[in-house]
Amino acid sequence: MKILVCVKQVPHKDARLEISSDETWIQDESIKFEINAYDTYALEEALRIKDAGEAEVVILSIGPDRAIQALRTALGMGADRAILVWDDALAGTDSLGIAKALAAVAKAEQPDLILTGLMADDTNYSLTPPMLAELTQLPHVTAVVKETQQNGDIVAERELEGGALEVVKLPRPCLLSIQTGMNDVRYASLKGIMQAKKKPLETKSLADLGLQASDVAPKVTLEKIFLPPRGKGAEIVEGSIDEIATQVVTKIKELGLL
Amino acid sequence: MARTLIVAEIQNGALREATLELVALARKLGGELVSLVIGSEVSGQAETLAKQGGGKVLLADSPKLANYNSDGWADAIQRAVSAEAPDLVLISNTPSGWDVAPKVAAALDAGIITDVFDIENEGDELAFTRRLFNGKFNGRFRITGSPRIATIQPGATAAYEGSDGGSVEPLEIDSAPPRSEFLEIRMAEAGGHDLSKAEIIVSGGRGLAKPENFDAVLKPLVDALGAQMGASRPVVDAGWLPHEYQVGSSGQLVQPKLYVAVGISGAIQHLVGMKSSNYILAINKDPDAPIFEIADLGVVQDLFEFVPKLAAKVKSAKGG
Ligand SMILES: Cc1cc2nc3c(=O)[nH]c(=O)nc-3n(C[C@H](O)[C@H](O)[C@H](O)COP(=O)(O)OP(=O)(O)OC[C@H]3O[C@@H](n4cnc5c(N)ncnc54)[C@H](O)[C@@H]3O)c2cc1C
Repeated sequence: MKILVCVKQVPHKDARLEISSDETWIQDESIKFEINAYDTYALEEALRIKDAGEAEVVILSIGPDRAIQALRTALGMGADRAILVWDDALAGTDSLGIAKALAAVAKAEQPDLILTGLMADDTNYSLTPPMLAELTQLPHVTAVVKETQQNGDIVAERELEGGALEVVKLPRPCLLSIQTGMNDVRYASLKGIMQAKKKPLETKSLADLGLQASDVAPKVTLEKIFLPPRGKGAEIVEGSIDEIATQVVTKIKELGLL
Repeated sequence: MARTLIVAEIQNGALREATLELVALARKLGGELVSLVIGSEVSGQAETLAKQGGGKVLLADSPKLANYNSDGWADAIQRAVSAEAPDLVLISNTPSGWDVAPKVAAALDAGIITDVFDIENEGDELAFTRRLFNGKFNGRFRITGSPRIATIQPGATAAYEGSDGGSVEPLEIDSAPPRSEFLEIRMAEAGGHDLSKAEIIVSGGRGLAKPENFDAVLKPLVDALGAQMGASRPVVDAGWLPHEYQVGSSGQLVQPKLYVAVGISGAIQHLVGMKSSNYILAINKDPDAPIFEIADLGVVQDLFEFVPKLAAKVKSAKGG
């Protein structure tokens, strides 16, 4: 079985984010990046399927050179090989453009299963997984919290609202987008990291995928990014830590809760 | 807007409130409204929507649509789009909405934006606003081409309350069965930690950094206040606390007299679970954290310094 896992490298959760000077994205020159948290659960699930039997785990990412770090981490955790797609034309594309590039690789790789995260922690769009499924003609299900292999089919539990879970059966090949918390994500061991250096890591341009810049021309543009207007907002308690704590206690007393 | 198609959603046999929110948004933008109702034996709900929302209601009614499946839903939406040629398609950003909308966009090669909380008419153009980075920033977007597709955050717009009277028309759909097979819907095990009746809840987030800190840093404040402990999702995902502690759209919905959010950023899925609390105190070292937008009282401090101080003062205020 071949499993294709799509990962995105996103700003580290603890990075200090500032809006870029042209106000169309964040300043991302000097911050740390990491694998999108949702994707780490997808990768872990693929590695568990591999551990339980025979599977090749292929990592696919779209991103600039810095994303190689994310791929090396994924290889260090146990994936078999990695593909990085980049092209200047992809810098300004939208989710559909990204999905088209992913689909070109997926068509060439012909995996039995595609796993992705439910969304990316930076944009929170949640768009590429169902798009990729549609472009590769695969059935899909999003927000999966449990998955079992059953005679060539997959039984998946997807998270609905308020604690409800929907159980669906899909034929393979198919695509699952994974919700956080599905499993305990492993760390890359030192040995794994050493071995990862020898694992294949291919880089591809749009032309390598048989695509042109016009194929990924965006229909959606992010015109401006800004801090949410404050609105009513909280009353911020000022002073020394001691004074603040005293004021907060006074407030809780006023609420009749002390 | 010349014509807007909205995709209705039925939950427990009734139209969702979110559907009437889509009606309100479409009406605000102006132009013609067409709605699509999808399901099995749902003509009653389609009539209700025609009466309340007005305009034309397309009804895709088939046994194969008894339960949500992306193939059936996408087919119905695509047929409605080709029959009506809308300029804008609005779908609620619910588990079925976020599952099907991107699939439809890819099939139609159309531009799409998800989890939008506002759309504004700017002449011939539409400006879409949504959150980015889990609520830290907002982004304003444009879409070229037609139709433009947007999924809308439930609760972001007030539901339409008019009563206009419209008509229902059947929509023919593809008879092919969906590739995925619905088996069942079940409830996750509830667990014994019920937060729904708590007077005071102190919730810890990823800002607590380590599982030990829930006992060492958060628990003294919980105990001093006689509160119950809650958590954000990453805390539960990491296995630091059981799922029954989770507050939010996929956890518990709570409304205590006092909710204390410690090291929680305030992503929309967390806010949904606690924003009806009577009084909200947020403790976060980031002055721009979105939690401060909905909190009543804010403390911009390192929680590891502030929370022990607060716990001690609460304790002595109680004379203990
Ligand atoms: C379908 C879906 C359902 C979801 N359901 C839920 C749900 O039910 N409940 C839920 O909570 N989330 C849910 N989420 C996840 C949600 O999107 C956020 O990822 C999550 O709420 C973030 O948790 P957090 O605030 O603890 O972490 P973060 O967003 O990482 O925030 C941590 C905060 O701690 C602060 N901090 C760090 N260190 C310190 C310090 N020393 N002192 C003070 N402050 C500090 C930081 O400034 C930051 O604001 C869901 C997501 C999806 C997609």
